[in-house]
Amino acid sequence: MANEWEWELQAEKKWFQYGLVELWRCRGLLQSFVRKELTAGYQQTIMGVFWLVIQPLLTTLFYFLVFSKIVKVSTDGAPPLLFYMSGALLWGYFSDCFTSTMYSFLHNAHIFNKVYFPRLIVPLSMVITHSVRTGIQFILFLIIYVNYWIFDDAVHPSNYIWLVPVMLFFTALLGLGLGMIVAVFMAKYRDLEQLMNFMLRLFMFVTPVVYPASIVPEKYKVLFWCNPLTPVIETFRLGFLHGGTVDNFYIFTGMASSLLVFFIGLTLFKFREIKVMDTI
Amino acid sequence: MSKPILHIDRISKQYQLGVMGSGALKKDLQAWWNKQVLHKKEAPDPEAYDEANRDYIWALRNLDFKIHEGDSFGIVGNNGSGKSTLLKIISRISLPTSGTIHGRGRIASLLEVGTGFHPELTGRENVLLNGQILGMQKKEVLAKFDEIVDFSGIERFIDTPVKRYSSGMYVRLAFSVAAHLQTDILIIDEVLAVGDVDFQRKCLKKMKSLSTEKGKTVIFVSHHMQALRNLCNKAIWLEKGKLIEEGAADTVINKYLSREKVETLSQYYPNPESAPGNEWIHIKQVAINPKFNTQISYIDTRTPLDFEFSFWFMGQYPENTQILIGFYQLTGECIFELCSEVLKVEKGLIDGKCRIPGTFLNNGYYYVSMHFLNREQDTMYEFTASVAFDVVDYRNAKRPYGKWDGAVRPDFPVELSQVSFEKP
Repeated sequence: MANEWEWELQAEKKWFQYGLVELWRCRGLLQSFVRKELTAGYQQTIMGVFWLVIQPLLTTLFYFLVFSKIVKVSTDGAPPLLFYMSGALLWGYFSDCFTSTMYSFLHNAHIFNKVYFPRLIVPLSMVITHSVRTGIQFILFLIIYVNYWIFDDAVHPSNYIWLVPVMLFFTALLGLGLGMIVAVFMAKYRDLEQLMNFMLRLFMFVTPVVYPASIVPEKYKVLFWCNPLTPVIETFRLGFLHGGTVDNFYIFTGMASSLLVFFIGLTLFKFREIKVMDTI
Repeated sequence: MSKPILHIDRISKQYQLGVMGSGALKKDLQAWWNKQVLHKKEAPDPEAYDEANRDYIWALRNLDFKIHEGDSFGIVGNNGSGKSTLLKIISRISLPTSGTIHGRGRIASLLEVGTGFHPELTGRENVLLNGQILGMQKKEVLAKFDEIVDFSGIERFIDTPVKRYSSGMYVRLAFSVAAHLQTDILIIDEVLAVGDVDFQRKCLKKMKSLSTEKGKTVIFVSHHMQALRNLCNKAIWLEKGKLIEEGAADTVINKYLSREKVETLSQYYPNPESAPGNEWIHIKQVAINPKFNTQISYIDTRTPLDFEFSFWFMGQYPENTQILIGFYQLTGECIFELCSEVLKVEKGLIDGKCRIPGTFLNNGYYYVSMHFLNREQDTMYEFTASVAFDVVDYRNAKRPYGKWDGAVRPDFPVELSQVSFEKP
């Protein structure tokens, strides 16, 4: 009797199989995961969703006090509040995407050990969740921005503002890509958890979060702009605040390297997604 | 004969053992270098299994069998025999080290009740989430939603966060979701022992109807032989990752049970030093000795059982000792307790025995616990789960079908007689 098997499970997985059809079929699950992340986090808290708004505001205030009033770092002529808020917003988005996706396997081991679904759902749901949160924070930013623009006439948008959505997208892509790479290795080597949290803190200081790129000395410039987050934050500020300059070349290298990191992460993640559970 | 739906084709699974340490990275890099750069293939050979090698273990060794459409398929074996590993590989949670699985249709696995339930979400939200995690589409869950809630019997609490649920309610809801999965192959690992007896029965009925009425393929793993016997038509028996027996469920389960008995029916300790106990009591031996009077070599509901025990009394002074022997169901419920005479014992060896007659216990799993009481009726020593045994269902013509209710099944005669006739 001839048998037409519909699927096959083999010992070795092949590279570059992304299972996109399967992923598309599970979009409902992705949606549910996002809803779970968004709602479950704020149950039984007094402030609820307001934490989303309070966090970046407090961070901004803190940066403002420390870096503007005490250390007196230049903000390239932009209103300090908006300057620090844009930095905090983008950095927060990146680091949230990165740190949440790097725990994809570790924090979901209990589920991954019991049931199969495309594992990509988890990092994707994390990134979407943080995109929604960042979106809300972005609206807050816009409200404050419009205030400055209309009432103070202190800021003007430039044409680079149209690049902002693209920049946000590539920020997420970079965070997701790096997160997936780390997730795969962290499943076995827990040292990475310590290392990454530490590195992330250092990485913030080589990214223009609390200072403008313009204060970086000439001889470190090339190296500094190699950081894919530098053009992102600078373009964002250029678009909204008209401060600083961005070399278009670095916008492209930033996007290209983010994309590369994402594809490496995706490929590695898909290749190891099942096997990794044996080592956890 | 129906078509095979799943072909387990020479599946082996190797697990790395050993502690993660500073050497692990070096080892991994070496393995990667050998494989990716030098293309050296280290061919793992599950047949050349080395018991002494502590670095890896073969959880499955060259398993090869087929499961047919509409089968209700049981997997039996001791702990560590590879049952769960096999289920994990079939449900795509784990990759085999070698071999292939060919299959058709959608697979859903229920290796645990309530996977992915989030305590902060309400019952309603969790049903939706859990249903989708288990592989249903959103609209399928919504279409079945009322049925699921109805089956669970907790309509009133469906909008309460599940962290407020009692564990029974939690399990009921979780199982209800799983019982309504729309798949071709359903994999269930030891989850039937959930909730109260009524709910268990409801689940078993539902599971049975999946394969008999809807023609779905169901794969069960359980230590509950009676449940498997009721549910399955085919079974395999695994031992240390190898296939020992394959065939009709009854045959496989009987063979497994009659083998199993040697290990669980008795405990024996030759000297007091290594025996379990305390400053008063050391156990020498406990045993259930079935008195078989038929051809079968496993305990069924007809078999009389002798419970025999002996222990060393270690106390310095003589003590008025009494022994309680409790017979418990797997659920922890005590069926009955036997109580010995009070005996003044002195340092030395003491023997005891009692008989449980045939046609008394109902079918099921039982374990025996012993309490040693002193003159104040205080517990000197408690020997829990001393022996455990499975009483297999035996049906005569009296009542051939259906679940026989009750903790015991005594064969007290019930007399019927017609006392008058109505003339038509």
